[in-house]
Amino acid sequence: MTHAAVVSAMRPPFPAERGVDVYNKKLGMWVFLASEIMFFTALIGSYVILRFGAPAEWALPGKVLNIPVTAFNTFLLICSSVSMVKAYAAISHGDQKGLRMWFGLTILGGAAFVGVQVYEYTHLIRHGFLPSGFRDGSELAELAAANPIVYGQTIAGLYGSTFFTMTGFHGFHVTCGVISMLYLYITRVLPGKYTKDDHAGVEVVGLYWHFVDLVWIILFTIVYLI
Amino acid sequence: MDTAHKHPNYILIWVYLAVLTALELGLAFELPISRNLKLVLLMFLAIWKALLVAMYFMHLKFEKWNLRILFIIPLPLAAILILAVITEHIW
Amino acid sequence: MTTAAAPHAMPHAGHGPTSFWRKYIFSTDHKIIGIQFLFVSLFFLLVGGILAMQIRWQLGFPGRPMPGGGILPETMAPGGVILPEYYIQLVTMHGTFMVFFAIMPLLVGVYANFLIPLKIGAHDMAFPRINMASFWAAFLAGMIMLAGFFVPDGPSRAGWTMYAPLSASAEYSGVSTGQILWCLSIVVLGLSSILGSLNYITTIINNRAPGMTWFRMPLSVWALFITAILGLLALPVLSGAGIMLLFDQTIGTHFFDPAAGGQALLWQHLFWFFGHPEVYILILPAMGMVSDIISNGSRKPIFGYHSMVFAIVAIAFLGWIVWGHHMFVSGMNPTLGSTFMVSTLAIAVPSAIKTFNWMGTMWRGNLRFHVPMMNAVGFVSMFVIGGLSGIYMAATPLDMFIHDTYFIVAHIHYVLFGGSLFALFGAFTYWYPKMFGRMMSERWGKIHFWLTFLFYNATFFPMHILGMGGAMRRIYDPTQYDFLKPYQPLNQFISISAFLLFATQIIFIVNFVGSLFRGKKAPANPWDDNGLEWTLPNPAPHGNWEKPPTVYRGPYEFSSPEVAEDYLPQTRKLPTDREPVLAPAAGD
Repeated sequence: MTHAAVVSAMRPPFPAERGVDVYNKKLGMWVFLASEIMFFTALIGSYVILRFGAPAEWALPGKVLNIPVTAFNTFLLICSSVSMVKAYAAISHGDQKGLRMWFGLTILGGAAFVGVQVYEYTHLIRHGFLPSGFRDGSELAELAAANPIVYGQTIAGLYGSTFFTMTGFHGFHVTCGVISMLYLYITRVLPGKYTKDDHAGVEVVGLYWHFVDLVWIILFTIVYLI
Repeated sequence: MDTAHKHPNYILIWVYLAVLTALELGLAFELPISRNLKLVLLMFLAIWKALLVAMYFMHLKFEKWNLRILFIIPLPLAAILILAVITEHIW
Repeated sequence: MTTAAAPHAMPHAGHGPTSFWRKYIFSTDHKIIGIQFLFVSLFFLLVGGILAMQIRWQLGFPGRPMPGGGILPETMAPGGVILPEYYIQLVTMHGTFMVFFAIMPLLVGVYANFLIPLKIGAHDMAFPRINMASFWAAFLAGMIMLAGFFVPDGPSRAGWTMYAPLSASAEYSGVSTGQILWCLSIVVLGLSSILGSLNYITTIINNRAPGMTWFRMPLSVWALFITAILGLLALPVLSGAGIMLLFDQTIGTHFFDPAAGGQALLWQHLFWFFGHPEVYILILPAMGMVSDIISNGSRKPIFGYHSMVFAIVAIAFLGWIVWGHHMFVSGMNPTLGSTFMVSTLAIAVPSAIKTFNWMGTMWRGNLRFHVPMMNAVGFVSMFVIGGLSGIYMAATPLDMFIHDTYFIVAHIHYVLFGGSLFALFGAFTYWYPKMFGRMMSERWGKIHFWLTFLFYNATFFPMHILGMGGAMRRIYDPTQYDFLKPYQPLNQFISISAFLLFATQIIFIVNFVGSLFRGKKAPANPWDDNGLEWTLPNPAPHGNWEKPPTVYRGPYEFSSPEVAEDYLPQTRKLPTDREPVLAPAAGD
């Protein structure tokens, strides 16, 4: 099959010197993800640095944060990552129905993740966990006063600061992903504008979505489990 | 990348991820081992999961080496920043 | 958005948008975006200069009413006498505007945008609309930063480096809203920069014309490519740090608050981890453009093209592991300090390679001292001085003494003004014809160069002496210290030179603006240069070329034995040239 006969928008521009053999949008997304790695490095790295250098021990895992709910959330995000890649596999074979189903499931999974996070945040704030630490007079503040070691009372300010910033920005990225996917779903997926030869949008948003999942995998481990 | 490449078995990867997550939870709460060892093992598991997502879901395993480099370059930089600043404290 | 598009979707070459708004204001054409960056950044350069004039007034004539100071409000300068609180804001904002809103966008926003597609034979950037977003985000960031002057208590007081805890707490600095605006502005600017970088990187990797192999790209493009990678990876760290600082000020987090277990030094590490690659962002494009200009002005190929490329890569690579040299006196681990000392000394080597290569290019060349060439050679000599003072600072024991003195200020201004700004004056003149279709005045360009060179050295060279004498940075009144009183005449000399330097720039402004209307109409290739951009008419049409041009050779074939002229454009085909062989498109 000569290149002239293959009509695919998903190829590098031609005629041009050989780049990295991927089309512009995809390369652009990869480059963007490289910058996102550095952004999360700043946030997560600061957490690691602050924790290593902290003058006191942090709260034991599971005492302040709700592990079962978050573990479920982790699973949910991983599932949505799988459905995303199944959506991509579907359209790469021209399967519109499969695309619609899997892509829709991904959006639902993502939205559910955000929902659970919002629930988690409101729950934590109500119990007294804030970015600045334990709120005076709250339930958590009292628990911490009774068991300062278990609840990492002296260092609660840093705990709150790092927790909310890291998970908050991750949640922000997930939300942007859900909104983008919803936009694509309504304007391109449902009307059947993606084809076997041109489904760049699916692949590109998929890359973003997997990245967001990847960051969460790291975050879940080092924020909730350690 | 276009339509011709083979798709790996995504469901299988999903199973691996689920198993690894379960392992992590068990490790974090059940096993009576030292904190430092726990830390190392948990990080190892997390990185393994992250690699699975990167290599299979993001198809890095099937892309050209120079695209992989793009993703890899920030990692040593991140490591340098974190390690250098941590050593700051150990003196 | 088209679905099954042809393999090379052709933009509408020749007929772009026609309405005034789409053509000049919300344009997606990289050339227009470059020019937009040019006008906005020149404005901020002026703002930075005006702030500097006030700083120099206070340092040269402490406590005296400033001419024209009466227009400032009582909170800043009652009776025209600059208050200490206002002085430190001047210092902070001068640095901030010059680094983030003048030099960086002038080098990257203007020339990466304008030159890259032209020099590699592409129709436009890979993502024209993201490019437009990048400009408008930068504009917004600039406006947010400027707004700091108009809020109660004024803009930030923590120095352009924003060290915590001074920057993290309004209790210490006395500034609340202004500080928040600084952080917001920087986060927005970071986004603009990242979007720009991703465009430049993607375009250079994927959209090079047939025959434009990696090692046939001009050094300006190489430099802009490596700069884009630096920006891509460094700016997010600043954004992250800026967000943490913002949170410390607003929602009560404690990242940089030692009382709650945070670390003030963490800010320094994050800032300089970004900050050092940032200064290479501020110099590499200048070096790249200077290489192009010097090769042209010498009518000789650049000496050691490959080593120039490797030097750029080496500088960028090493630039990641030297950041601690800004923090030698912070009380950090001395062992870590020594590693930074070694890496900082090492980074002098590739810079030296580049310097010798420029000299090698000029050696026995058929020198044409046009205005860009003069500025480019000025760059080389001034950069050497700035680089040499850097070696002193790299040596930790010596830096203990000169850190935070005027020796550092001298170094900064030698590399940024003597370096980047002279290169920019050269670049403005060199690519002016391609941007605006007219030539700037040669005579006034030369007068501007010599006067600037004179007053610039008179302003900044004595600062080395001041610094060795122990004059501290950022202080309001040097005469309050007995040991600095003997240096006051030198301070006055510097201030007067600075005023004359600023006044000289009027020549440039008049030349620049005047030539837009009355400059000589420029031919397509006024400098007899080889780059692809000179094969296009002035102004270049939307979409640049109908079909991508074919490239047969590198960009520095001056005085080639193969042709009678002393230049040989990259796209000119000689009987001995073969067509480039393109790798088959992916998927075949």
